[in-house]
Amino acid sequence: MKSIDEITRLSAEDLERIALDESIPVPEELSGRVSATLARQRSRSWARWAIPAAAAAAVLVGIGLNREPQPKDTFDDPYLAYAEVEKVFAKISGAVAYGAEKVNESEQTIDKYAYWK
Amino acid sequence: MKQLYILVAMLLLSISAFAQDGRSLYNKYSDLDNVEAVYISPAMFRLIGKIPDMEVQDGSVNLGPIIKTLSGLYILSIKENRVAQDLADDVNRFINKGQYELLMEAKDNGETMRMYTVGDDFVVNSFVMLAREADEVNFICIDGTIPRDQLEALIADAAKD
Repeated sequence: MKSIDEITRLSAEDLERIALDESIPVPEELSGRVSATLARQRSRSWARWAIPAAAAAAVLVGIGLNREPQPKDTFDDPYLAYAEVEKVFAKISGAVAYGAEKVNESEQTIDKYAYWK
Repeated sequence: MKQLYILVAMLLLSISAFAQDGRSLYNKYSDLDNVEAVYISPAMFRLIGKIPDMEVQDGSVNLGPIIKTLSGLYILSIKENRVAQDLADDVNRFINKGQYELLMEAKDNGETMRMYTVGDDFVVNSFVMLAREADEVNFICIDGTIPRDQLEALIADAAKD
């Protein structure tokens, strides 16, 4: 019996000649085994694309289920909207200024302590 | 089986990634009683950006450089104690789950103010401010692709005034 390596080294003509040689005995169960192997490979190739497709679908469903509806704009007038944005940034800046003031106060306390020490 | 685990992991990731953000918090709380809510959409920001030299207040904040980079503003102001606590908890949860970085924190007499940003060294994709006062919780969330240097300069300039 030839090994797999020997078979892969054979030319197409040699393979055809061997296949047509009726003197070579063929096991009776060979046909069934070949069919079963092909069926297994077919089911594997189906799974190869079906699983990623299912994953992609699941992710899309997950995203779709969690998509929040867009709220309604509070302002119809862009000037009012702009005024609100200004107000928000003024508030944020006020908070930053307050924080900076606290840092400054702390630094002064630390300096005073260092001086008396 | 390995592929099944990957599938489940991807599904969970997709759910958690969208679990909570400024919009979902706004949708959850904006219709409740004793809640003041403001939302400005990307479309409105685009419209504002098209109006040249817009200035409506005293001009202490110059929004010109960044207004076109904003894509959403969510504000919630809640006076009712239980709901205010729920909002503060939800904000903390979404901050902890996301990639938010603490920008600043100030505490004084039980009042707390925290600012967070998410983005990289150059761009801020979301800015969140949560201020807890004795009888009120304020939540501000600004989304966009805001150049970090411009945002910081804007806040610093306004804070000087």
